[in-house]
Amino acid sequence: MLQYLVILLDDTSTSYCHYGVNKKERKLISLDHLRQGIRLGMVENLMIQFVYPDYNLPQEYLDVIDTIDHSNIKPMAALDNDTDIVTIDGWSYDASKLKDAVVALLTSWKQLNENHGKLKDLLAVVQRLNVVITDVERMSDSDREQYKVVLETLCKDVEALYVDGKSPQLNLLTDRMMLSAMNNCNAGDTTVTLAPNGKLYICPAFYYENEDDCVGDVVNGLDIKNKQLYRLDYAPICRKCDAWQCRRCIWINRKTTLEVNTPSHEQCVAAHLDRNASRDLMLSLRSKGTFLPDKEEIKEITYLDPFEIATQWK
Amino acid sequence: MGIIKTKEASWQSGVAKNITFIVTKDCQLACKYCYLVGKNEKEQMSWETAKAAIDYILSHEDEFREESVIWDFIGGEPFMEIDLIDKICDYLKTEMFRLNHHWFNSYRFSFSTNGINYHTPKVQEFIKKNISHLSIGITIDGTERKHDLNRIYKQNNPDGSEHGSYQDVVRNIPLWLEQFPGGSTKVTISSADIPYIKESVLHLYSLGIHEVNINCVFEDVWQEGDDRLFEDQLMQLADAIIDGGYYTDYACSFFSENIGKPLDPILENQNWCGAGKMLAVDAAGMFYPCTRFAGYSLREKKPIIIGNVRDGIDKNKLRPFLTLDRTTQSPQQCLDCEVASGCAWCQGENYDAAETSTVYQRATAICLMHKARVRANNYYWNRLYRKLELEGQREEYEMNKREVKPVDC
Repeated sequence: MLQYLVILLDDTSTSYCHYGVNKKERKLISLDHLRQGIRLGMVENLMIQFVYPDYNLPQEYLDVIDTIDHSNIKPMAALDNDTDIVTIDGWSYDASKLKDAVVALLTSWKQLNENHGKLKDLLAVVQRLNVVITDVERMSDSDREQYKVVLETLCKDVEALYVDGKSPQLNLLTDRMMLSAMNNCNAGDTTVTLAPNGKLYICPAFYYENEDDCVGDVVNGLDIKNKQLYRLDYAPICRKCDAWQCRRCIWINRKTTLEVNTPSHEQCVAAHLDRNASRDLMLSLRSKGTFLPDKEEIKEITYLDPFEIATQWK
Repeated sequence: MGIIKTKEASWQSGVAKNITFIVTKDCQLACKYCYLVGKNEKEQMSWETAKAAIDYILSHEDEFREESVIWDFIGGEPFMEIDLIDKICDYLKTEMFRLNHHWFNSYRFSFSTNGINYHTPKVQEFIKKNISHLSIGITIDGTERKHDLNRIYKQNNPDGSEHGSYQDVVRNIPLWLEQFPGGSTKVTISSADIPYIKESVLHLYSLGIHEVNINCVFEDVWQEGDDRLFEDQLMQLADAIIDGGYYTDYACSFFSENIGKPLDPILENQNWCGAGKMLAVDAAGMFYPCTRFAGYSLREKKPIIIGNVRDGIDKNKLRPFLTLDRTTQSPQQCLDCEVASGCAWCQGENYDAAETSTVYQRATAICLMHKARVRANNYYWNRLYRKLELEGQREEYEMNKREVKPVDC
């Protein structure tokens, strides 16, 4: 059931997820399309998330945006008191400006490997940190081995913060501990995106990849063919998986396997490395005292890619 | 011998890897029901491409762990490229031996041919050389009028009329059956063929073909009322088979005790089609999960290429095929269907007919035809069982009947 509407306010709106923004020219959504998007949100009871570019919007836009409850996703350059999620593309940031912020930090495997040591300080400051790996589908064997080391280091950092009485939130490590069921992106199922051209897309990545790949528009409404395939119960690998924190990015799914409901090997392995590191963190914290007593232990498993055992489920 | 002849299990069914060389996209014929919409005279496989495919496959033994292999040759018409095929097969045998490959003692060469070139010296020489590792099926559709309704030459007769291929095929049937006594044929039914089903099956029996595998096309070609005509034809065929006693020595795949039952969503959730478990390679050296995903087979969609002879197989592209199950791709009407078992689908046709670019949307054009088949099939078995009962043979049959597993396409 649809619950969220993402509205890209400009062609250069920041990325907050795996996709890159390949449009360089500023092109604001028209006020008509913006109003129609907001109306769609109101009549369908959708929570609206506005995604901003790095420049200030005209006042008339801000006035229209203010006509509905919403949250704001803004790039670091546009960070203000009205920001709900701030995006950082790369590793150049001023941590002092990020106190209590919810941060989406976009990084490549290589950058993460080189810079992960900086995350401890950032975690101590922010309310929540989402590390988004932008080339997750290109994970090499060496990336995978290095990532294990990165996660081990981050486990120690997060554990130290907990011991210090803090409650750090790092998507890679703490989400899985807190969850009791799958919690994925759900683009196409619970979330769709309105682009500056007035058309609706499964998610921003689909817009930036191919503008013709739309699923309706703000005037005529949504028309998602084979809509069921965006649901978890129609994903043969994912529906049995317990890497509950996985983004389950259906854009990467389609790019790598040609099907929106089938994850690539690399996406599964990355999610399971996170899951297993979460298990280690949880066990370690519990060895020090009571920790999340209402949550079940994360089980030890022998695979990193649930595809390997998918046939056993049939 | 059993009381009722059933379809023979195919060689190493379930344990053999099927690897298809699309050696040409050309054919002498232009069959009206052919799903190969992109046939052409330009795309013949080169020896270099064939060799590169073989070298890749045989050097990646760990990726091809199946116990046995069926090297399949398809077109167009494969025997139009008999020189290339002969060279490929010689190389395969040499290389499997040289590499001490686990397939060396467990392989078959398999062909589906229109039969026109079957008698030619080169084809016959190839057959004699490889007879112990060879399966060949000749497609003959039934009586001359039924066969020539669809299976016509690309070029018309001088007077402009269609040039049917029946006479050029039927003359090779005795030679084929002499070389392959258990030879079976594949008959395809589209809308225009329905009135000729009974006479065609009986005609094929009369030619000495003891196993007739017959199926309706999966494409959306059916007209209103076709299901009733189809049911009527099958019931006439059922009467003829039972009254003529053909059931003891001849098999027709339309009639099976295993069809027409509801299916359990958990225990009977397997995919029908073997796409993805198979591998096909074309003249450009591209790999496909089945020939049906090559460009020349597709009306509406782009081909699904899963790799090539240089870079190998992209395993991510195989994942959707290898995790496909029945319930995930079926619409509710199929999940609720009370006669679901035996209702087949083709993954390639599903993909081509789907509203989006997916293999997860089952096409249902065949629905009414399957239901008609089930009704006629029920009639067949009710009549046959009664006859066996009255003749005192039913108990013996029940005790000796063998399980028939569903087979991949």
